[in-house]
Amino acid sequence: MMSATTEIAPGYWRPPSRLAAPAAMAFPAVGFLVVFLVIPALTLLSYSVLVQSPTGEIGLPLTLNNFQRLLGSPTYRGILFNTVFIAGCSTVFAILLAYPLAMTVAYGRPLLSRLTMVAVVAPLVVSVIVRSYGWQLLLGNGPAGVVNFVLSSVGLPPFVKILNSKWAVVVASVHVYLPLLVLPLAASLGRIPPNLIEAARMLGAPSWRAFFGITLPLSYPGLLAGATVVFTLTAGSFITPQMLGGTDGMVLGVLLEQQVNTVYDWPMSAAIATLMVAIALTVHFITHRVMNARPTR
Amino acid sequence: MKTEYNGRFITAVTIVLLIFMVAPLVVVVALSITPSKLAMFPPTGFTLEWYAKVLATEKFRHSFMVSASLAAGATILSLVIGTPAAMAINKNVLPGSRLIETLLLSPMILPILITGLALFQFMAAQGMRSTGWNLLIGHAIITLPYMMRTVTASLKQIDHSLEEAASTLGAPPLTVFFKVTVPQIAPGILAGCLFAFMISFDDFPISLWLADARIEPLPIYLHHQMSTVFDPSIAAMSALMIATGIIVVILLEKLVGLRKAMGV
Repeated sequence: MMSATTEIAPGYWRPPSRLAAPAAMAFPAVGFLVVFLVIPALTLLSYSVLVQSPTGEIGLPLTLNNFQRLLGSPTYRGILFNTVFIAGCSTVFAILLAYPLAMTVAYGRPLLSRLTMVAVVAPLVVSVIVRSYGWQLLLGNGPAGVVNFVLSSVGLPPFVKILNSKWAVVVASVHVYLPLLVLPLAASLGRIPPNLIEAARMLGAPSWRAFFGITLPLSYPGLLAGATVVFTLTAGSFITPQMLGGTDGMVLGVLLEQQVNTVYDWPMSAAIATLMVAIALTVHFITHRVMNARPTR
Repeated sequence: MKTEYNGRFITAVTIVLLIFMVAPLVVVVALSITPSKLAMFPPTGFTLEWYAKVLATEKFRHSFMVSASLAAGATILSLVIGTPAAMAINKNVLPGSRLIETLLLSPMILPILITGLALFQFMAAQGMRSTGWNLLIGHAIITLPYMMRTVTASLKQIDHSLEEAASTLGAPPLTVFFKVTVPQIAPGILAGCLFAFMISFDDFPISLWLADARIEPLPIYLHHQMSTVFDPSIAAMSALMIATGIIVVILLEKLVGLRKAMGV
């Protein structure tokens, strides 16, 4: 987006003196990321098409063997499926839960809105490891799991047995990443002119129609941005599935850590990393296309 | 007067969701005060002995200091290199401004686990063996985009005619920056700093690869303890981390305003 004060398109030649200052200002950050992010990441990803010798050196010839090993094995395909499945479920649940919270933040009575804002932001500044530990305690399969304890103390059977499964990862991932969806969604909702909804209601639309006809379509930018973050962060996560998923909830991140720290197989690790990056980039690319295809205002 | 949305239904759902949001934190705090030897629900009484035990542990205090200084260092580094970059992009005169912006925000898109692994591999290959510096670099990479975003957002809102007026009246560029620009973007920068601090303080996937037994940030130490210790001291350590986060939220609310800080 161009600022209003710029009359000349970016990229147009300017006298060097006007470019020198901004270039010098951007240089440290750009240089830092090129050296410590771009080069290392490209190096790592390039290992995915190289071969590791028995002595541990990585080099030519070029090969797709690592990807064949990764995608050819039913176990690894299952882990890939788990990763996408858990990220997809978490995103869907997060969307369903985010609307009421974001609507309360945007339109609720001041006290409740403020309280919701605090309850949404507070978990965001607590380490994922602490939150996953909290879910371990809550979802414990035995009678000492907090949810089961509460169920049996109100006379219900302690039926919650999802710890060490995909579903525990989904529940905790929704909790961990929900704030990152609620915040952009609330910002989007706050920008919807209230008189649009009032007009719909005055013309006789029931509240559900006003929601699906006006609120939902106008909140798509925040929804898309937030849902992308939830999906990609869940698909790239390590600690939550490691602490809550067990073998049933095994995902690419956990597999990657095992391949590096116990198998020392760099080309295979690089192939897994490439797959994870590909998933993240694909989702971001799709969102970008969808957002740009929509008229913004 | 009719509210513009189905108020009572949304309120009821919100209250259930608020319980969902705070439950994992409340449970951790509840178990940190139980006198029983195992971290099991329900708490059987009240004691602060686990906090005393944790605070008396040399290794815990060391890890806490590692995390706090790492977070402060990463915040300062990303502030020092991020603010000028955000200003350069905001001026929109450099060829490839969009590309630079994409690069600077890319650590948010790349899975952090991969960023950490790539860095670990790179640093090992380059013979960079100073764990402290390696961790600082890794943490600055992930705090930089948050800093960039908040500073950019503040820059978009300020009144540029004030800067123009100051330079027309003969103020040198650095004076304009510190006397006119900085006071206007200060709340945004402060929010960015507090956020960057917590991102680093809570980080697991970067430290997972770059830490060692001597320099062990708190989340890594906590993770190690979880597989060897089963008494409520784990809950007490977690509660202390929650307390750090709560302090930052209170600071954000008091100094900047939570809504403003979060762009809502």
